Amino acid sequence: MVEIAVPEVDYTQYTNRQLVAVPLALLAVALLVVGGWYVMTGAPANLGLEFTGGTELRIAVDGENPRQQIDAAFGVAPESVQQVDADGSFVVTFQEGALGSSQIEQEANDAGFGVLTIDSVDGSFGPEQGRIALGGIAAAFVGMSILIFAVFRSFVPSVAIVASAFSDVMIPLALMNLFGVELTLGTVAALLMLIGYSVDSDILLNNSILRRSGDFYESTQRAMQTGVTMTITSIAAMTVMTVLASLFGIQIMRAIGFILVVGLLADLMNTYLLNVSLLRWYVYKGVKR
Amino acid sequence: MIGRIKSNWRVVLLIVFVLLAGFALFSPTVGGDDASLANDSQQASNNTNLKFGLDLAGGTRIRAPLIGLTAADVEFNGDSEPQVADAVAGQLSDTDITDVIARQADEEGETNTVEVVDPNVTETEFVTAMQQAGYGYGEITSGVTDDTRQEAIEVLEGKVNQAGLSGATVQEFERSGDILIEVPGQDRQDVIGLIEERGNVRVDIYYQNDSGQYTTEEAVLTQEDFQSVSTATQGQNGPGPHVPVTVSPGSAEEFRQAAVDSGLAQGGSRCTYQQDPDNTEACLLLVVDGAVVNAFGMDPGLGASIANGDWLRDSSFILTTTSFEEAQRVAINLRAGALPANLDVLGGTTSYISPTQGESFRTDSLIIGVLSVLAVAGVVFLRYREPKVALPMILTAFSEVVILLGFAAYLGYPLDLAVIAGFIAVIGTGVDDLIIIADEVMSEGEVNSQRVFDSRFKRAFWVIGVAAATTILAMSPLAYLPLGNLSGFAIFTILGVLVGVLITRPAYGDILRYLVTDR
Repeated sequence: MVEIAVPEVDYTQYTNRQLVAVPLALLAVALLVVGGWYVMTGAPANLGLEFTGGTELRIAVDGENPRQQIDAAFGVAPESVQQVDADGSFVVTFQEGALGSSQIEQEANDAGFGVLTIDSVDGSFGPEQGRIALGGIAAAFVGMSILIFAVFRSFVPSVAIVASAFSDVMIPLALMNLFGVELTLGTVAALLMLIGYSVDSDILLNNSILRRSGDFYESTQRAMQTGVTMTITSIAAMTVMTVLASLFGIQIMRAIGFILVVGLLADLMNTYLLNVSLLRWYVYKGVKR
Repeated sequence: MIGRIKSNWRVVLLIVFVLLAGFALFSPTVGGDDASLANDSQQASNNTNLKFGLDLAGGTRIRAPLIGLTAADVEFNGDSEPQVADAVAGQLSDTDITDVIARQADEEGETNTVEVVDPNVTETEFVTAMQQAGYGYGEITSGVTDDTRQEAIEVLEGKVNQAGLSGATVQEFERSGDILIEVPGQDRQDVIGLIEERGNVRVDIYYQNDSGQYTTEEAVLTQEDFQSVSTATQGQNGPGPHVPVTVSPGSAEEFRQAAVDSGLAQGGSRCTYQQDPDNTEACLLLVVDGAVVNAFGMDPGLGASIANGDWLRDSSFILTTTSFEEAQRVAINLRAGALPANLDVLGGTTSYISPTQGESFRTDSLIIGVLSVLAVAGVVFLRYREPKVALPMILTAFSEVVILLGFAAYLGYPLDLAVIAGFIAVIGTGVDDLIIIADEVMSEGEVNSQRVFDSRFKRAFWVIGVAAATTILAMSPLAYLPLGNLSGFAIFTILGVLVGVLITRPAYGDILRYLVTDR
């Protein structure tokens, strides 16, 4: 039978510099990707239908050559056509302004497709939603930071938590761009969830090191034992959700799941490399000054 | 016995909550709003009190803004509402007087407003028109007033009700002022068609001509002749239920003439058209799509002022009815399904989910939920290898979901895909916190006294408390901001965290104490 045992890491073998190098390098790459995206496209990520406007249909197509039928059916070429594995239906996306959503619906009906879902967002309405959503993420992050500083009341440990939470959000955001996952209301929700979710193990670590008896490495080991189990449990649940939701073509659940899996993996790294080394520096060197 | 209950009161509390949730989920007495479950396919597969949102039941959702510009703090200079509206409309070329709404403040805290609901008028044009008409104002904002929005909602509700669409809802979208219309089981185009459709309404005068014959003077007022139709009013201390209306100045004289010629205005009239049409004084008839739906007499005071021409000054009157419901119906009919401001149906978001797709989403999300829970259980078992730690952990996390479902059933909150994703996330965080408790309590050797247990449990709870506070803080923007159906996800994540911290996690502590303390 498989056993899950959290490995013991001998932190004494590595200097703080070595420990910090990997997470900081990844964060730098992530920031470069997100920043680059912003410079190139004017947005930190690929904006989805809800933020750009446009129309998305999910249709059932009978008969031979469904893709040709789809190409022939609409007056303008769809932006993308994707097949859903579970029931063989197609998700067809049109850009804002291509055609009115009512006309697209009409054309789908005329072509004899079964219209399963239609979502349409107006081009003037979307960007407004996007601004609100990004503002929401920023507000949540600032609120979380204030709370952490208020609870721990010392600079370095608080910064360690906030920095690793920041990286937990940025790395999935960068990966979304690389994997072509769009920023939608669902992914915004997931990023917000991540802010709350990922600080759990950081708080546990800080608490164990700063407020508990025992030497630094013992405390770290103890916190890791619990924290890694927690994060792996969550990753397991979210992986199942992501895989099944993409199989069934439930976009909102797939997006939420994807972000959380990536973010929690990033959190494992950030907590036990970045956060640990900042705390070690604080405990051993910071106090002496 | 009592002592045992007392020392395990947290577990007792958990059991009570699970039972209450079960009651909320399955008792036929809770949430018995049958109208919203009238859809057969919806009822057949749902023998609980849970309600399904459009994602899971199928139907159409439209979120759209009302188009308009509003000037606040307007100085009316002693003019009446219709005069102000007329003067401002006069300064706007191509804008009908019905597209300008002036409202005198009638409640504490309100200000006088002027709205333009013609989508073609720009803010600059509106500013110029206000200045040329000579009315001072505070500021101009995009959007319409609350009163206009309420009138629009009333009209839309009237429409979906008249069309017999069960379970349809019309509401104001929190904080953005958009209108949200949800119609289960209906096609998108049908719903848009219904919203845009206008009925045909006119007012006739029914009277005895000089030779004693009853005749009908048709269409003395049509929709275009009304400058405004206000919302139905209870009128408790005065005239009783009624609808205030204003005839546009251009049509007022014509109407006055007809009222005088037919004898309606002379000394008022008592109308008994509905009881005995062959023996009544003159009546105003409200005709909707060719059928008489209501008949009104005229108050002597109003009659006199119409007869001597005073009435032309504000050209308004009230239509009294026998009940408030009737007044509401009359108001909707008079507007003939015309909204006071344009609803920009395609300018917001629309979504449609076919009922079969909703049904498969329902099954799919159930499978996803169950398998995610199993994945969590699997990891927990592999890690602890000890059923007496792992089993209560999974049961506790599961009871958290049952309690949340109970809340959803009790509140009648419709479940959609985002809410279910929230539930799965809740199981994730819930189990995380139980792991913290278990590890903390069982670390550093045997737990040999109540005191040791308590101090360790308290330590674990500190971490859980801070973590819970961060999650609530992080999710609250989503619950608050007008971002579509994701507020459901946020609300249920927050609720889940609260239920966890206040009820289920303390109970797990008690269960664990019973299992691990040496007695």
